[in-house]
Amino acid sequence: MLQETRVLHPVRRRGWKGWFAVRKRHLGYVAFALNRLTGLGLVLYLIIHLVVLSLLARGPETWDAFIELAKSPAFLLLDVILLAGILFHGLNGLRVILVGLGIGVHRHKELFWGLMLLAAILLIFGAWGFLVV
Amino acid sequence: MKGNGIQGISGAVRWLLQAVSGLLLIVLLGVHMIANHYIAAGGLRTYEEVVAYLSHPVVLAWEVIFLIIVTFHAVLGVRSVLYDLGLSPGTQRRLDRLVGLVGIGAVLYGLWLLWAIT
Repeated sequence: MLQETRVLHPVRRRGWKGWFAVRKRHLGYVAFALNRLTGLGLVLYLIIHLVVLSLLARGPETWDAFIELAKSPAFLLLDVILLAGILFHGLNGLRVILVGLGIGVHRHKELFWGLMLLAAILLIFGAWGFLVV
Repeated sequence: MKGNGIQGISGAVRWLLQAVSGLLLIVLLGVHMIANHYIAAGGLRTYEEVVAYLSHPVVLAWEVIFLIIVTFHAVLGVRSVLYDLGLSPGTQRRLDRLVGLVGIGAVLYGLWLLWAIT
């Protein structure tokens, strides 16, 4: 158990700079760095999302005016970026859990690329959904 | 030396908690996204639609559980990232208290918001 944690320990020992230590270009390093960057991005989004939701407490006029603004193309682009972050973080996180539990340890690269392919497919469908709904 | 609270929990248990909350989020966030951005007409709900959506007890319970789990996962994740900066034990203890308070504050704020609009 926790084999991923052991693999990533050298990165952790080097602090946040270790996230970008891509000299060896080990897939685990890149995935680790991207997982943390997307995680921090999603936390930032969560904070913004909670703050924006406070507009609901101001009543229908304030919220509905915001909703009209949120339907603009710029917001839709941000939604697609958000979806990409969610899909990467979620599916890479799933890989970390599986490998940590000893599942697919010797095929973790194939697992990573398979899940990223799934992320790409879901992103295309998701982005298309944003545009047509 | 093990401290109180989250520091008193071993790294393996913290990893497991983060993994379980992450797996739950795949389902909770998936349903949240589909319900609020794909099923909702226009991709976003008007005020009236938000109130109607949250009036269903199962939906309300789902969103409350989602709020708690996403906050827990985020707080534990940020803590982990900040620990990697090489913090002193004293700073680690202060950070644990801070992220704990932020997490509780975020959940209470979310619950207040849900109460205010339902």
